[in-house]
Amino acid sequence: MATRSRRLATKAALLPVMLTGALALAACSGGGSSTAPASGGAGAGSGAKTLVIDTSFDLKTADPGRTYEPTGLIIGKATYETLLTFDGADVTKPVPALAESYELSGDGKTVTLKLRPGATFSDGSPVTAEDVVFSLNRVRDMKGSPSFLLDGVEVASPGADTVTLTSAKPNPALPYILPNPGLGILNSKVAKANGATADASDKAEKYLNSASAGSGPYMIESFNLTGQVVLKKNTNYWGQNKPVYDKVVLRNVEAATQRLNVQRGDSHVALNLSGDQVANMPATLQVKKTPSANMIFLLNSQNPKISKITSNPKFVEAVRKGVDYKGLLELAGEGSVQAPGVIPSMMLGALPPDAGATRDVEGAKAALKESGLTNPTVKLEYPSELTVNGLSFQPLAERIQANLKEVGITVDLTPAPVTTALDNYRNGKEEMGLWYWGPDYPDPSDYLVFLPGKLVGLRAGWAEGADTALEAEGERVAAIVGDDKRKTAYADLQTKLNAQSPFIPLIQPTQNIVTAASVTGLEYHPVWTVDVADLGAR
Amino acid sequence: MSPTSAPGKAPAGGTAGRRAARPGVHRHPLTRFLVRRVATALLLAVGITLVTFVLTNLVPGDPATANLGQRALGDPALVAQWRAEHGLDEPLPKQYLLHLSGVLQGDLGTSQQSHRPVAEDLAEFVPATIELAGAAIVVSLILGVAFGVIAALRRDRLADQVLRVTSLIGISVPTFWLALVAFYIFFFRLQIAPGSGRLDPGMTPPPKVTGLHTVDAVLAGQWDVFASAAGHLALPALVLALYTIGLLTRFTRSAVLEVLGQDYVRAARAKGLPGRTILFRYVLRSALVPIITVAGLAFGSLLSGTVLVEAIFAWPGIGQYAYKSATALDLPAVMGVGLVVGAVYLVINLIVDVLYGVIDPRVRLS
Repeated sequence: MATRSRRLATKAALLPVMLTGALALAACSGGGSSTAPASGGAGAGSGAKTLVIDTSFDLKTADPGRTYEPTGLIIGKATYETLLTFDGADVTKPVPALAESYELSGDGKTVTLKLRPGATFSDGSPVTAEDVVFSLNRVRDMKGSPSFLLDGVEVASPGADTVTLTSAKPNPALPYILPNPGLGILNSKVAKANGATADASDKAEKYLNSASAGSGPYMIESFNLTGQVVLKKNTNYWGQNKPVYDKVVLRNVEAATQRLNVQRGDSHVALNLSGDQVANMPATLQVKKTPSANMIFLLNSQNPKISKITSNPKFVEAVRKGVDYKGLLELAGEGSVQAPGVIPSMMLGALPPDAGATRDVEGAKAALKESGLTNPTVKLEYPSELTVNGLSFQPLAERIQANLKEVGITVDLTPAPVTTALDNYRNGKEEMGLWYWGPDYPDPSDYLVFLPGKLVGLRAGWAEGADTALEAEGERVAAIVGDDKRKTAYADLQTKLNAQSPFIPLIQPTQNIVTAASVTGLEYHPVWTVDVADLGAR
Repeated sequence: MSPTSAPGKAPAGGTAGRRAARPGVHRHPLTRFLVRRVATALLLAVGITLVTFVLTNLVPGDPATANLGQRALGDPALVAQWRAEHGLDEPLPKQYLLHLSGVLQGDLGTSQQSHRPVAEDLAEFVPATIELAGAAIVVSLILGVAFGVIAALRRDRLADQVLRVTSLIGISVPTFWLALVAFYIFFFRLQIAPGSGRLDPGMTPPPKVTGLHTVDAVLAGQWDVFASAAGHLALPALVLALYTIGLLTRFTRSAVLEVLGQDYVRAARAKGLPGRTILFRYVLRSALVPIITVAGLAFGSLLSGTVLVEAIFAWPGIGQYAYKSATALDLPAVMGVGLVVGAVYLVINLIVDVLYGVIDPRVRLS
C-alpha cells in the first residue's frame, strides 16, 4: 500500500504542477504583449500609437457640465474645448481657444468674445454661438458641480460669431474661469438629440459618458468609472496641433503600482507619486517636480464657543511663529514650497516667496505669554487617510505638534476619516484644523473665501462683522479691473490676512509626475493637471 | 462505522449506498428542500438589506458632505436639492422602506457617485470580480485538494512537511502584502507577468456576452484577447487563491487522514482494490463533506480579499467599487454591493447544502 500511496501521490502531484505551469504560461503570454507600449509607444495588438497614463481615479462622470474631479478634468480638457484657455502652465493670463479674442468691459461686468471661424466638432459640424450659449446655460442651470462657476452670469449671442457674458456685479475673474474644462462647449444638436436640456431635467450624462460631443483633439472610446478610460484620436480635429497618439488610456492605478508600471515600461506617465516614490528613479525616466496649487493651511477657530484658546489673537500669533516651515518642506519633499499667503505661488496676486512666515520660537513664547494662556492644550483635527499630491497629513500634524510643544502649546492630534472630519470642518466645529484648498479656478478672487463671513472664514468661526475693515477691503478688491491693479491689491490683502487672520498658510506640496523618455511636452497644470493634447512622442 | 453501510462498503460512494438513498428522495423530494432553502434565503436577503442600511447610516458623516464640492456645500438650497434628489430628506424608516420596495421591483437606486442606476454599475463591475474570484476558487480547489491528498498520503515525510509549512504560510501571509510582493517580483523583477488591469493597454475588450473577458474572448474567437485576459488574470488569481489553497490543503489532509483510518478503507485494501479506486471512490468521497464546507466559507474570504487585490492589480471589480462607494458614503451603492455579496453567500451556502445531499445520502435521510 505504501508503494501505491507513493504512486498516487506522484500522479496527484502532476495535476497541480501542470496547472501552475499553465498559469505561468498564461502570465508570460500576457507579459510579453504588455511591454509593447513602453518600447515603441505602440498599442498592443493594433500597431496604433498608444499613450498609457496611470493615475488614482477621482472620477464621477465625463459630462463636462457635471465634471469637477481631477480625473474628469483631464478627460474634459482632452475631449472638449473652452472659449479661453491657458498657455501651458502659465495661469496668469488667459489666451484665446474657441474664441479668437475677448474683451472685459471697463466696469468688469461684461466679457465679449468673438468666436474663431473654422472650429468644428468631431462630426465635422461648425462650433456656433448657439452651441456656446446652450452649453454654458446648461452648466449654469443644470445645478451640477461646476454650476457655481457661472452663478449670476447671463450668456447671450448678439451676433453669429459673438458671445457676451454679463454679470450683475463686476466679475473680472470670468476670463480666468472660462478655461475650466467644466465649461467645455458641447455640440448642442448631438447633445439635445441625446437628452441634453439647459435645466435640471437633463438626461445626457449617460450618452456623454459613452461618446463625447466636443471639438477637442480626442474623443471618448470607452469609459469605466473604476477601471480605465480610453480616448481615441479625433481625426477631424480642426486645430493646428493635431493629436499625436491614436489612443490615450487613463488607468486607475494605486501610487505604489504606478511606480512599478512606469519603471517597467508598462505605462508612460505616472501622476500620483510621492516624494519618496520618485526618489532614485532611473535616468531613463523624466521626473517633473512642480509646486502644486494645493495650499495646506492651519485654521484656528475664532468662535469662543468652540475654543477660548484659539480665538485669542495672541495664541494665533504664537502658533504662526512657532511652526517650523522649513521642517514641513523637508517632509513634503523636493519641489515643495512654503505658501507665502493663501494664494498659491503661480497665480496672479501671489506674495513673493520671502513674504511667508518664519519660525521664531522666542517670539512665539512671548506672544503666548501676552495671550494670558498658561500651558494651553488644543485639539488638532485633520483627515487621516487623505493625501494631497501623495503627501499624508499625519506627519505634518506630528511635526506641528512637536514644534508647538517647544513653544509651550500642547496639541492633541485627532485624526478622523475624511467624511467624518469634513463634517466638523465644514460646520465650523473644529478648534484647530489642518486642511488644504485647491483652486476652483486660477484667479485670486477664488481666495476671498478666506475672509470673515465667507465660506472658509465661517469654518474658522470668523463670522461676518468680525473684521469690518478687512471685509470692506475684500469687497473693493473683488471689483478691481486690470491685472496690475489686481496683483497689487491681492498682495496687500494677503499681507493683512497673514497678520490678522485665523489661517496660517503652510506649504504647497510638490506635484511629482514621472514620464517615459519618449514622452514630450508635459507640464503640470493647476486646474487640469495634464493637457493630454500637449503630449508628444520622441 | 457508518450507520448506513456494511463493513467494507463505502457509506456514500458505494452503489449500494446510492440505491438505498433513492427511496428517500421520494419521501423528501429535493424540490421541497430547495423551496425551503430559497424561502429562507429570501428572508435572509431582506435581513441583509436591513443590516446594511442600519450600518451605513450609523457611520458618522453626511453623504452630502462627502459628495458635494466645497462651493456647493456653501449653498444650502443646492444641498437641500441634492438631499431631496437622493431621498435623504425622508425619515430613516421611510428611506429603508422605499429602498426595500425598490429592491423588490429590481431597482437598487441610483449611485450618488456615478449618477447611474446601481444595478447598471453592478452589472459592469461584478463580472470582473466573478472572473477573478471564480478563477481563484477553481485554482484553490484543484491545488488545495491535490496538495491535501498528497500530504495525507505522504504523512510525516518530506512532501507532507513542505506542504504543511507552505499551507501555513498561505494562511498566515496577509493578502495585500502578498499581492504587492508578487507584483513586484513577477511583474517588475522577473518581467514574466503582465501589468495592471484586465487586458493590455489599448486592447479592445471582446464583445460582451458574460462580462468575463476570458470567456467572451473565446466565444468571439479572439485568441490574442484571450491570451491577454488569461495572462492578466493569472497572477491576481493565484495571489487571491493562496490563502484558500492553504486552508483547503490543511482541511483535506486531516479529512483524508481520518478516512484512511476507517475500517471500510482497510477492508477495501484487504480486498486488494487498486489504490486509485480506494482513493477516489472511498477516501475522497467521504472526505468531501468537510472540504466542501471549507470551500464554501473560503469563497466568502475570496470576495472580501478582492478589495485589496483589485486595488493593487488595478482590477475594476466590485471590490474597488465598494471601496469607492464606502469612502464617499454612497449609500445606494454600498447597499447594492452588500446585497450582491450577501446573495453570493446565500447561493454558495445553498449549493453546499445541496452538494451535502448529493455526496452523502445520510444528509437527505435526516
